[in-house]
Amino acid sequence: MMSLRTEFLGMQLQSPVMIASGPASHDVNQVRLAQEQNAGAVVLKTACSDKFVHMRSWPRPRYKLLDWDKQIEGRSKTFSLYSYEQGYSGTLEDYWEFIRVSKKHASIPVIGSIFADDVNDWVELAKQVEQCGADALELDISSPHRPGSLGFETTFVAAISGVVKSVKIPVLVKLGPGADVLHQCLAAQENGASAVTLCNRLRGFDVDIESQKPILHGYFAGVGGPWAKYYTMRHVAEAAQSVSIPISATSGIMSGEDVIKYILLGASTVQILSVIMVNGWDSVQRINREIAEYIQRKNLTSLEDIRGKALKAMTSPDDIIRWSGESKRGPRNFWDEGFEK
Amino acid sequence: MNAEVTKYPGLRPLPPDFAREYPPLALVVEDKCIACDRCPPLCFFDALIMETRPRHKFKRTAVVIPDNCTGCGLCFEACPVDAFVWEPDNAGGKGPLHPTEKTERDLGV
Repeated sequence: MMSLRTEFLGMQLQSPVMIASGPASHDVNQVRLAQEQNAGAVVLKTACSDKFVHMRSWPRPRYKLLDWDKQIEGRSKTFSLYSYEQGYSGTLEDYWEFIRVSKKHASIPVIGSIFADDVNDWVELAKQVEQCGADALELDISSPHRPGSLGFETTFVAAISGVVKSVKIPVLVKLGPGADVLHQCLAAQENGASAVTLCNRLRGFDVDIESQKPILHGYFAGVGGPWAKYYTMRHVAEAAQSVSIPISATSGIMSGEDVIKYILLGASTVQILSVIMVNGWDSVQRINREIAEYIQRKNLTSLEDIRGKALKAMTSPDDIIRWSGESKRGPRNFWDEGFEK
Repeated sequence: MNAEVTKYPGLRPLPPDFAREYPPLALVVEDKCIACDRCPPLCFFDALIMETRPRHKFKRTAVVIPDNCTGCGLCFEACPVDAFVWEPDNAGGKGPLHPTEKTERDLGV
């Protein structure tokens, strides 16, 4: 496992695979489990400021797994996670205790995650997270479940710069997918963020045609799944070429192969969650093993050797070589001569 | 089959207005359980265990520990034989938190 060692924001990770903020990082037991499974680090479940106290209660049920192939023994390949997830379910005091106890019992880095709207609240929460001993801090400004319509420019830019000025630990900014993500990466870097996490899940919607009603609770929900990696890979590739801060990639990671892809596109670490949901906690070890096998097969000393390598082979649309179909010999369409309909 | 029954197993035995009336927990119908061991590792809240039942067809069954169950619905999704039903959370008794207010705030776009 030595070859999986990754340095990320000054932290020494035993693996580039971190546990993303979510239901798999809501409890001290899960932090211990993550460590046993050789995860690199754990991003704890996002805690909301007191203003969003209603986000500490969860609707029941809050998960649907759509189009799940339901394979056993960790062999599921396809599913969509459709959920109305909320914040950390305890009070802020509980959260601080959660960080302290996690730090006491885990040797892997523990990353706090917070959400607020007012800059002062952001800074207050961030200082507390630092005081409780978290190794880093993630600002969850892009949750698909976040309430209201807080603007990136109006609220979150101020939050990032405010938090960065008031804490010494590294600050990650978790961004959502979409047209603005590159611009937001640049803004995060400009305002002093140490890294960006790309990308959160999207807010989506689904309807049951039998009951002719929206599924779950009738409101938009966060949607993600293995298919989400394709657009996230594009975002990671774009960001890696434009920003100099490290990128932690997350979305649709099901195997070591997906991790390698993100690393080839310039990501430093990856975060996984829903694969644990469908394929169990040992997915972490399986993914680690698959990365190690790749490293061995390609004779690499570490993942640093291939970080961003695929970007060098990227072309611009102007450089893509094109041919005209007409200049080719032979029929191009079935109605051309020689082809019976 | 009841006309109200929907396609999605997680919402199957759903009483009308259930979210307001009953914050439900999962419950295993032990006769239906095939002891496939799929749900205990899936539960993020340690609310599912396998227990021995000498008279059960498969000698074992999944059991929900109601104190730990958050009613998240993942086990419903995982079950290949739809052995889960919703049960009102009598122990918690608090009910959903300000349902109307919550919806408004969540919708507050």
